[in-house]
Amino acid sequence: MLKAASEALPYLAEGTMYTIAISVISLFVGLIIGVLLAMMRVYGGRLARGFASLYILILRGFPSLVTLFIVYFVFASSVNLSPFLAGCFALGVTSSAYQAEIFRGAIQAVSQGQMMAARALGMSRWQAIVHIILPQAFRNAIPGWSNEAAVVVKDSSLVYAVGLAELLRRSQQVAARLRAPLLIFAIAGLIYFLLTFATNRLLSWLEERLRIPQMLEAR
Amino acid sequence: MKHWRLVSLLLVVVLLSTMVAACKPKEKSKLDQIMEAGKIVVGTSADYPPFEYMDENNEFAGFDVVLMNEIAKRMGVSVEWQDISFDGLIGALKAGKIDAIIAAMSATPERDKEVDFTIPYLEGTDAILVAEDSDIVINSPEDMGKYKIGVQSGTIHEQWVDEHLPDAQVSRYERADQAIMDLKSGRIDVVAMDYYAAQAYIQQGGIKLALTTNLSGENMAIAVPEGSTELKAKLDEIIQQLKDEGFIDKLAMEYLVNQE
Repeated sequence: MLKAASEALPYLAEGTMYTIAISVISLFVGLIIGVLLAMMRVYGGRLARGFASLYILILRGFPSLVTLFIVYFVFASSVNLSPFLAGCFALGVTSSAYQAEIFRGAIQAVSQGQMMAARALGMSRWQAIVHIILPQAFRNAIPGWSNEAAVVVKDSSLVYAVGLAELLRRSQQVAARLRAPLLIFAIAGLIYFLLTFATNRLLSWLEERLRIPQMLEAR
Repeated sequence: MKHWRLVSLLLVVVLLSTMVAACKPKEKSKLDQIMEAGKIVVGTSADYPPFEYMDENNEFAGFDVVLMNEIAKRMGVSVEWQDISFDGLIGALKAGKIDAIIAAMSATPERDKEVDFTIPYLEGTDAILVAEDSDIVINSPEDMGKYKIGVQSGTIHEQWVDEHLPDAQVSRYERADQAIMDLKSGRIDVVAMDYYAAQAYIQQGGIKLALTTNLSGENMAIAVPEGSTELKAKLDEIIQQLKDEGFIDKLAMEYLVNQE
């Protein structure tokens, strides 16, 4: 049994690659859209604020699986997306709604005086946002963002529902063939744990690395 | 109950997709599309040995897989396999993501409303299982009503239990192996599942056969999109051929009865 399970490891490892790829791409898509939405909510006019609020409201209200089914099955008749692309898109869009709120909090946590000081030194509003506010906001966002990263890594398993054999689906296949669900799912659980553990360690390192000690005292 | 949420979500999606699909102009028949592409995209749920599973080389294997490959060979096309969870198969077929389903799926009237079925390729036989050390005696399927029952959700076994034993205590599982695990651990008393799929679990030990029966009188068939008459006719013709030649009987002996 252990021998058969160890022979299945390369297959599971390949599934892990899919899990990593989906997670990284989804987080990246979510990051780009999320930061834009957060800026719309904080600095935008009425229309932009309203749009961003509605987008966040709807996508946080939908289970990721529903978003995925809509992207894959309903849009399927006009755009033929592969399960992989549909998964990255659906999870990325869902994640963007959560990330938007993380970044909105992070931007609003930067003290008002920073913007005033930047404007007083002759920067435009846009320059102040890009050069003064966002760099500090990104630092503020790391702890919350590492939560979201862990959620996305685990949500990536939903993609199996539309037929992409990532880590969880492959574990199910192997468990069914070897009839050893306990062993195989323990292995899968360990792999997911290692993935989130590594992600969180990386982000803690980044947080420490980018810390500005004087800033904390100045507040 | 996670499962029911999933099914209802899927239904909503299926409904939406039919609405979208209904707006599309009529195209060539499904059979013509398949012949032109030189391949048929077949969906299955590769977690149900010995009918369909991934073998040691991570290739699709099992009774249904060999049968479908033979059918495709006789059509003169190749098979592109897609592994989709059992719940998602009908949705994927309706959305046009796959051309056919072969997944030890029984042709029930409910499913027949959503898809078209070929003639059956295998008669249904069901097993009622109990733990090895259990003294439960099952003389007819109705006897299950007194005990805690485990079934795989979305199967005809679940449907039979819901219809005939509405007051019974039922645990529903996403996959058959989960029901077997709970049977062994004593959380449930009986499991109703497909007879052939049960054989492998019985050989593994810990459980035994209490009754062999045919719960629904329904049989396994290949599902194709609704209205694809030409494809259904072609598949019917080949399945009949394979039955007449004894190909299916031989395959059943090899995969479903004589398992090591």
